Amino acid sequence: MSMPDFSSQFDASIDTGLEWLSDNGEFVFDAVNAVLNGIYEGVLWCVAYPPHYVVAIVMAWIGWRLAGVRFAILAGLALLFCDLIGLWPETVSTLALVLTATVLALVVAIPLGVIAGLAPAFDRVVDPCLDLIQTMPPYIYLLPAIALLGYGPATALLATFIVALPPALRLTSLGIRMTPKEFIELGEASGVTGIQMFFKIRLPFALPSIMAGVNQSLMMAFGMVVIAGIVGSGGLGEAIYGSIRTLDIAKSINAAIAIVILTMILDRLAQSAAQARVRASK
Amino acid sequence: MTMATINSDEVLIDCQSVWKIFGKNAPAAMDAVVQQGLSKTRILQNHGCVVGVSDVSLQVRRGEIFCIMGLSGSGKSTLIRLLNKLITPSSGKVLVKGKDVSSLSPAQLREVRARHIGMVFQSVALLPNRTVLENTAFGLEVQGVGKAARYKVAEQALAKVGLSEWTSRYPSELSGGMQQRVGLARALTADPEIILMDEPFSALDPLIRRQLQDEFRLLTKELGKSAVFITHDLDEAIRIGDRIAIMKDGAIIQVGTAEEIVLNPADDYVAEFVAGISRLHLVKAHSVMTSVQAYKAAQPTCDISRLIQTSLDADIDELISLTMKSRRDGLAVVDNGTVVGIITPRDLLRGVQGIPNELAPVATANAMEASA
Repeated sequence: MSMPDFSSQFDASIDTGLEWLSDNGEFVFDAVNAVLNGIYEGVLWCVAYPPHYVVAIVMAWIGWRLAGVRFAILAGLALLFCDLIGLWPETVSTLALVLTATVLALVVAIPLGVIAGLAPAFDRVVDPCLDLIQTMPPYIYLLPAIALLGYGPATALLATFIVALPPALRLTSLGIRMTPKEFIELGEASGVTGIQMFFKIRLPFALPSIMAGVNQSLMMAFGMVVIAGIVGSGGLGEAIYGSIRTLDIAKSINAAIAIVILTMILDRLAQSAAQARVRASK
Repeated sequence: MTMATINSDEVLIDCQSVWKIFGKNAPAAMDAVVQQGLSKTRILQNHGCVVGVSDVSLQVRRGEIFCIMGLSGSGKSTLIRLLNKLITPSSGKVLVKGKDVSSLSPAQLREVRARHIGMVFQSVALLPNRTVLENTAFGLEVQGVGKAARYKVAEQALAKVGLSEWTSRYPSELSGGMQQRVGLARALTADPEIILMDEPFSALDPLIRRQLQDEFRLLTKELGKSAVFITHDLDEAIRIGDRIAIMKDGAIIQVGTAEEIVLNPADDYVAEFVAGISRLHLVKAHSVMTSVQAYKAAQPTCDISRLIQTSLDADIDELISLTMKSRRDGLAVVDNGTVVGIITPRDLLRGVQGIPNELAPVATANAMEASA
């Protein structure tokens, strides 16, 4: 068998595999699609329904509580600017996408990270999978996702979810594993149960690391959500993708500015929240 | 087992030839020790295992402070962890209040650790995210005691160690000595009979250390607790311990009171250790006194009833002061109204050197003759 024959056959078998999956697993993927879309719509409603200045004020208030007055004012003004350049709907839908994908990723990653931290055997299985996810170029995940879930936000969510998973999982497992030995000994000598050991001793020590993981996952999600504009994620990603195709340079730069604003605000908020947690635990 | 139950009133911790061997082949190495009596070095060579604790038997009685003194690597930290099964022995038994620790179920073991054996660590291990009060109440919290009740007990414990003012502070705000007091208070809140102290004061500066040593001894005696106290400092062991065990290479070389160890070191290793220790407060009259007959033989003219009287437990320092006050060169040691021995200036000098009387009987007789 010659090389071209082999490669075309290989490609064909992958195609049939995917087709088979989408034909036979249709009800599964439809369900996944519906659930992802439902969650996304819900989150989107929360940020898109109120007028833009209300969202800006709420974000500024959160910023004030977590990071101080100066940041709060800057964040509020920056969000108003997003509206001024006519990209408010795109900005909030990107915000909704990132938040949804990150929260979904954390809901999966943190418990798995805890298990990986406690059970080295599980960690040995998970670790290579995470390596694989992180080595692949992120947009690779768009293709199978679009084949199975179709064009739209659900696909973007799934791909973003996969990319946002590894950092939080790794850093959670690291944090859980790094409990200082003398505190484990203290727990044992005080007669703690396994559950008490986890919640009273391991978790408090792991918290800074877990919060760093949350922040990292959020940033990964941002990167991915823009790339996911290709598959019809909506939001700023799609705005950039559209303006690149039509060579609308001004609009693409505007959208890029809006993304930078959103990223910086969320990054700073997540970091401040993490620091507040760590400070509270000192 | 029945023996242990009968004795449990008196002996709180009973180690019966306990071994701990670390390494992958520990069971095989343990067998080799039992069957062939291999030495520590041979076990390391043949099995690649390290002997941490070798054939240790000791008993800790109710109300006593038992010090285990040894240099780093002597196995003392391993030994203390065998007592509450933080480390499982390779062989031998540890009985706590008559119960074999290794036969306990996980729940029973937790119960023993929570209620009967407190532990204080060199690193203190105060949880940084909790206040002093919350740290102190940790043991009770683990046992499921309600907030109000456990904070009340914790406050009392903190008052005992003189930290009432600091309850709402975080550990990072406290000095090393204060942190160690919190560690002690935490061990006391669960009201255990036995407190295991793993080199608690080693990292503190000398003045604070001595202060804490005295406080610890007073507090333990006042509360009627028993303690096993690990240290690498013989001065500390002497200051604190009712009895001292000297450990070397995983084995206990000598157990006894400070006076016994200083006067009769079991071997050169112990002798070297005690060489620098001041005898003034350790050696007591009963160890150095000359018998009444020998004294009379040497000084037939002396009227014993005119000598200044002292007791069997008077230490050398006290005896020297009395001798300085006396016009005669002897003190009468009185026990229950009768004179049981005489302290001569020679006895005092011997005491300062740490040589007990019975070790130099010939010299005494000769000296007496010479002076006569």
